[in-house]
Amino acid sequence: MTALLSVEDLRVSFTTPKGVVEAVRGIDFELAQERLGIVGESGAGKSQTGRAILRLTSGNGRIDAKHMEFDGIDLLGVSERRMRSIRGNRISMIMQDPQYSLNPVMTVGSQIAEAYLVHANASKREARDRALDMLETVRIREPEKVYHLYPHEVSGGMGQRIMIAMMLIPEPDLMIADEPTSALDVTVQLQVLALLDDMVTQRGMGLILISHDLNLVASFCDRVLVMYGGRIMEALDAKDLHSAQHPYTRGLIDCLPRLDGSHEQLRVLQRDPAWLEA
Amino acid sequence: MIRVENLNVMFGYGRNEVQAVRNASFTVAEGESFGLVGESGSGKSTVLRAIAGLHSHWTGTIAVDGIDLKPKRPREFRKLLQMVFQDPFGSLHPRHTVDFILKEPLAIHRFDDVEDRTLKALDEVGLGPEFRFRYPHQISGGQRQRIAIARALILEPRVVLLDEPTSALDVSVQAEILNLLGRLRDEHGLTYIMVSHNLAVVAHLCERIAVMNRGAFVEEMTDRQLREATPAHGYTRQLLVASKGYNRQAIDGFVEFE
Repeated sequence: MTALLSVEDLRVSFTTPKGVVEAVRGIDFELAQERLGIVGESGAGKSQTGRAILRLTSGNGRIDAKHMEFDGIDLLGVSERRMRSIRGNRISMIMQDPQYSLNPVMTVGSQIAEAYLVHANASKREARDRALDMLETVRIREPEKVYHLYPHEVSGGMGQRIMIAMMLIPEPDLMIADEPTSALDVTVQLQVLALLDDMVTQRGMGLILISHDLNLVASFCDRVLVMYGGRIMEALDAKDLHSAQHPYTRGLIDCLPRLDGSHEQLRVLQRDPAWLEA
Repeated sequence: MIRVENLNVMFGYGRNEVQAVRNASFTVAEGESFGLVGESGSGKSTVLRAIAGLHSHWTGTIAVDGIDLKPKRPREFRKLLQMVFQDPFGSLHPRHTVDFILKEPLAIHRFDDVEDRTLKALDEVGLGPEFRFRYPHQISGGQRQRIAIARALILEPRVVLLDEPTSALDVSVQAEILNLLGRLRDEHGLTYIMVSHNLAVVAHLCERIAVMNRGAFVEEMTDRQLREATPAHGYTRQLLVASKGYNRQAIDGFVEFE
């Protein structure tokens, strides 16, 4: 498989009043048309990795990389104007919290239609029809009714599906999903993931799933990157995650309470400063 | 220790009335840990808040330590029962130091040897005296949750209500907090009621588990039944399948339970 995205020595740093904070410290990875999971604890740099690919790092941040290429485009070299035509259209991102990411004063339907209008040369009527189709694709019952609702009138699970509909409507080649389902109930979470899964298998989309849930990533993704302190500790096939060798990955797996476990003390993760060196 | 019978909790009035809990009944013996699981909106936190006295609009019976409770609780009740909340960012006053946070309940209940108790409470949750004069924003999420636990235990309660105590934390910190809660229970003979959406977390700490859906109890079982995956009700079975991870075939078979 050819690489859709290749990243070499990506670094993200932030200038703060207390000095420079390095959030991502030199990571390399490649992505083909597959499901890649990025797991780690909070502060590991996984979200910043996702944002850096879209150059959405906030104002005081700085992105450096030897090489960051998406489908032949040098993502660091292109103009901001060109970048705007890539965002949404070619590479799309689903944020964690639908309540904050949707526009509160626009109906959800018109937001989805807008996403289509911006990237496709289409009439308003066409955009509306496409938006309704998309709502059906993400399994929203009565799309006609939901089209005219405002974000505060829909539940969390529905809001997240609306976000996904909006991100999928320009048919991106690469989707970055940053904890897309953490705020949802388990059953809804899996239904939302099934939608993304269909896009990968049916349309050949590349998917980066950022999550802190090891079990979920192990069962859903093809490959997994385990991040800690802005570095990749280990890259492995998802099916091998439960037999991982790296002490950090092992520690994360061992400290989870298990349904088939007992009431005994849980093992606690021991951190080794050496993981951050090298 | 705790007896709840036909508990109904309502929100709103008239046409907008929503019944959040419907005819919930259960008992928890002294020293036992009881778990409540369910999806969001199932009413599990509402049950906890009604017991703690944070909701007053309920009907039915709530008895703690043999005393039938009314919506308004006396001061002694707070000494008997304390609560730990989900969000350690929201449950500690941002402009109070750890020292003040821990001493406030002692002052309200007119305890003496305040200094010793404060240091002992910090020590019990595994924090050193250096944390005393810090503000909540100066410590990590896991440490904040430890402070919330220390504040709940400083009055030496016999019952502690835990509302998703680890769901805002990283898994490694979650393990530390669960170990801490287990140790404190064994040392002080505490009775717990724990609410969580995570089946594995509840099964780890509790011996008996009740599953809630849309405000009503679906079923009650022992942790062994949950571990052996032999629940009687379809809703619980679906929840178990879902918590095992991604499985494309199973997802298409999911149904909604009324």
